Amino acid sequence: MSQALDDREIAPGAGPALKRLIAAQLAAFPEHEGFLRRRFAAGADDFCESLATTIETIAGEDLARLCEDYRWLAGAVLEEELFFRREGRYRLSSFAEAEALVYADPAYMTRYMNGLLLSQLWWSNHTAVLAWFRDRYLPGNGTQARHLEIGPGHGLFLLLAEQDGRTESCVGWDISPASLALVEKTFAALRRPAPSLLLSNLFEAQLGRFDSIAFSEVLEHLEAPAEALARVHDLLAPGGRAFINAPVNSPAPDHITLFETPEAIVDLVLAAGLEIEDVLLAPAAGASLDRARKLKLAISTVVIARRPL
Amino acid sequence: MSQIQPELEDILRTLFDEYEGPITGALTAAEVEQWDSLANVQLVVLAERTFGVRFSTAEIAGLANLGALADLIRAKQG
Repeated sequence: MSQALDDREIAPGAGPALKRLIAAQLAAFPEHEGFLRRRFAAGADDFCESLATTIETIAGEDLARLCEDYRWLAGAVLEEELFFRREGRYRLSSFAEAEALVYADPAYMTRYMNGLLLSQLWWSNHTAVLAWFRDRYLPGNGTQARHLEIGPGHGLFLLLAEQDGRTESCVGWDISPASLALVEKTFAALRRPAPSLLLSNLFEAQLGRFDSIAFSEVLEHLEAPAEALARVHDLLAPGGRAFINAPVNSPAPDHITLFETPEAIVDLVLAAGLEIEDVLLAPAAGASLDRARKLKLAISTVVIARRPL
Repeated sequence: MSQIQPELEDILRTLFDEYEGPITGALTAAEVEQWDSLANVQLVVLAERTFGVRFSTAEIAGLANLGALADLIRAKQG
């Protein structure tokens, strides 16, 4: 980042934590200035500052490395985008390939999750989804909610669920030891009570009855998303709610199932026997929904669903 | 870029619908708000399809402006 650069111009209204994160990110990735300037052109709100504070606390002395990891992630996504645009499909097609490349490699997985942690702030669709989880989904849970997250990744969604006063218990399942270690680190950094974490996949874990399930950015990693949603249905108590988030047209190193429209995701949720409570469509990079559909850009598609009573 | 320009211009107007300025060989990504790294990939792949050529990663990374893209297309078309 240039010494002369005034980061307040990049994010009008930014608080001190967001300004520090922008400065750290541009020190590691100066070519990203234009992207961040456009990202925050409409200004930064209180949620961005709160999120920046949380990320800064989680990163601690490793912030510079996390910013390097984000730069690496951006490059990896760009390579996948080139393949996707040329071939009209994701590069990988099997879970075994993704597991060998990403999930079973702790160093790769950690770098990937670190990059995704910062993407929660730098990618407007990721920020919108996280804000919707806090402000739209969690308030709909009843008190004493037993909450499960399948694939908590960096742990930000699970953290917000734990911090919500309606949550009685928090459980996280993941197939990656590196991911579970990051969740532990996230909760420890924020001095929050550790959630119950289990190294297991969705189909092997013991059935329980949960009032609330977060299932964010997992479906596109699976060979059989319909079966996974049926499992989510069975894991919910009658009347229980699920926050299901999956991206459309969003190539990444370990994405294997391509959803070409938001409606394809909504239809899968309905086919699993779940009722739709609400839907959020958040196009990437600030594109309008019309433009995102026309150009087949990434759209984060979030469905709040409910198991019928 | 005289023969290639009209088709490149169509691609740019489709991808960057908020940009209303002139499209010349000197145009760079810095002048078009919507022209970020992901959009650059879309531009390059649309150009590949339109002109029947294929670019290497190094060639894509080395493109300085729209004129450079037109020159590269012309060179590949022989």
